[in-house]
Amino acid sequence: MEDIIKVERVSYSYYNKIPALVDVSLSVKEGDRFAVIGANGSGKSTLLHILSGLKPPSSGKMFFRDHEVSEKSLKDKGFLRFFREGVGYIFQDSDVQLFCPTVLDELLFGPMQLGIEEKEALERAFAVMKMLNIEGLEDRPSYMLSGGEKKRVAIGSVLTMNPQVLLLDEPTNGLDPKTESFLTELIFELNGAGKTIFISTHDLTLVDEFQPTVAVLSEEHRIEKIGAAEEIIKDEDLLLKVNLIHEHMHYHGQKIHTHRHSHYVYHKH
Amino acid sequence: MKSEIPFFLLTKPHQYSAKTTGAVSRAPALDRGIDHLARLIKTTYVQWETARKEGFFQKLDARVKVLFLLFFIIIVSMKRSLLPEVTIGVFVFALAALSRLNLIAFYKRVMFFGFVFGFLIALPSSLNVITGGDVVIPIVHLPKPYHFWVYHIPETIGITRQGIEVVAMLTLRVINSLSLSLLVIYTTPFPEIIKALKSLKVPDPFLMIVTLAYKYIFVFARTIEDVYLAKKSKTIEVNAAETRNWIAGRMAFLLRKTRVRCEDVFNAMLARGFSGNVSLYPYRKTTKKDLFIGSFLFFIGFLFLLF
Repeated sequence: MEDIIKVERVSYSYYNKIPALVDVSLSVKEGDRFAVIGANGSGKSTLLHILSGLKPPSSGKMFFRDHEVSEKSLKDKGFLRFFREGVGYIFQDSDVQLFCPTVLDELLFGPMQLGIEEKEALERAFAVMKMLNIEGLEDRPSYMLSGGEKKRVAIGSVLTMNPQVLLLDEPTNGLDPKTESFLTELIFELNGAGKTIFISTHDLTLVDEFQPTVAVLSEEHRIEKIGAAEEIIKDEDLLLKVNLIHEHMHYHGQKIHTHRHSHYVYHKH
Repeated sequence: MKSEIPFFLLTKPHQYSAKTTGAVSRAPALDRGIDHLARLIKTTYVQWETARKEGFFQKLDARVKVLFLLFFIIIVSMKRSLLPEVTIGVFVFALAALSRLNLIAFYKRVMFFGFVFGFLIALPSSLNVITGGDVVIPIVHLPKPYHFWVYHIPETIGITRQGIEVVAMLTLRVINSLSLSLLVIYTTPFPEIIKALKSLKVPDPFLMIVTLAYKYIFVFARTIEDVYLAKKSKTIEVNAAETRNWIAGRMAFLLRKTRVRCEDVFNAMLARGFSGNVSLYPYRKTTKKDLFIGSFLFFIGFLFLLF
């Protein structure tokens, strides 16, 4: 399989002052599952912004199907269409992603942008609503939806564009267990259907369930390690170093006791 | 669930190639404006770095700086001729340079706002329709003068010498007021400005509003930017009318979000014991150096008042 996404020595800083990514390189093969994990503020969301062509890197290069994605290339309408059709981005905060008057408008926005016929766009919208169990919400404005419904609509609004790559920023954050498990299953199914999945998360449970290739971002905003999920999850020193697990002190009877602690790694919950 | 995956999602899209078409995709001006505004707000308010520099104004007591700002703003608005305004501008420039601020970035911002809120707003008053006087640049010649109610439209409409002076005066006032305000903002950490206002007996409700507004503006700018990026991630082609509709919708969204955030913040304050009084930890004592520099600045201010 060819690399569908590749970043080479990408760095990014906010206001040219605050570093968010330092010298990051990685590649993702078509149809792969890939996760970037790291503590809060390590640069996961910034990386996703760069991968989706929303922010140009301060230095370094990003490629989609071996075509360089840059501010210049995205100014060309033909290339922009090719890129937007290929890469869909699901934001962490569904509120900001839902900007159309109703759910149906939301689902139709992407296909209409791609120039898909109205009939086909409508078919896609209703099929996606059925898949995501949000039938009957088509006329509802986004502010009248629950958190879980918003997430489903946000995902649906990207799926109607049928992108090959799905970028998901902290997909399970703030969701109830039922929606979370629905979403995890959905991601699996989409990957099974040939979609390349790229997730940013600090949820080790999701990483273990999903078994992706994992890139670990350090608090210095660098790639600390890239490897299989199993290998990364077992590497306690690494997880401790990047602050994904911590040293935990507690009492056993009268004895004080310290050990490394992560709800997922040690208690499997 | 597998059976529920719609057929179109199982097919590979290959409608578009990566071939460049030569057609340029441009975001409408309104779209770009939103993004730039959000960036401007964020970078203007990120002043903690300049406020920490080892410069002349940074070392000064915040109370002295707040009084200096009020005094000089009064002076700027009292001056009636161009020369003192220019001299004040040069004085502020010297203070900004002594405070080791990035002068290009500083004046870029001052000039931008000065142009919009000073020059552009005052520009119509350069015409003899508004400010009478000697026409130096005629623009339109009418067949005869017109009288309408209290208005008089002369035969030749043009820019007058007096009008140019009025525009220059108003623009300079705006530029000077802005550069004074930004000088204080860029060289003083925000909590110190609030503490200085508190010690100068500014009422608590006002301080609370300023503090919350200052914090909210980051949230606001960030939300604007996120919403803009979310739209950009799905947008290929838009027209200005669609963008205007979208902006109107987003304004309503921000208003709702603001109301909810406002309630949340106030409840969080109540939960931590807020009862209407703003309590701050004690302010550091004013040193002899602060008093000396403060007296010097006020002496300069009085000189500007006299001449």
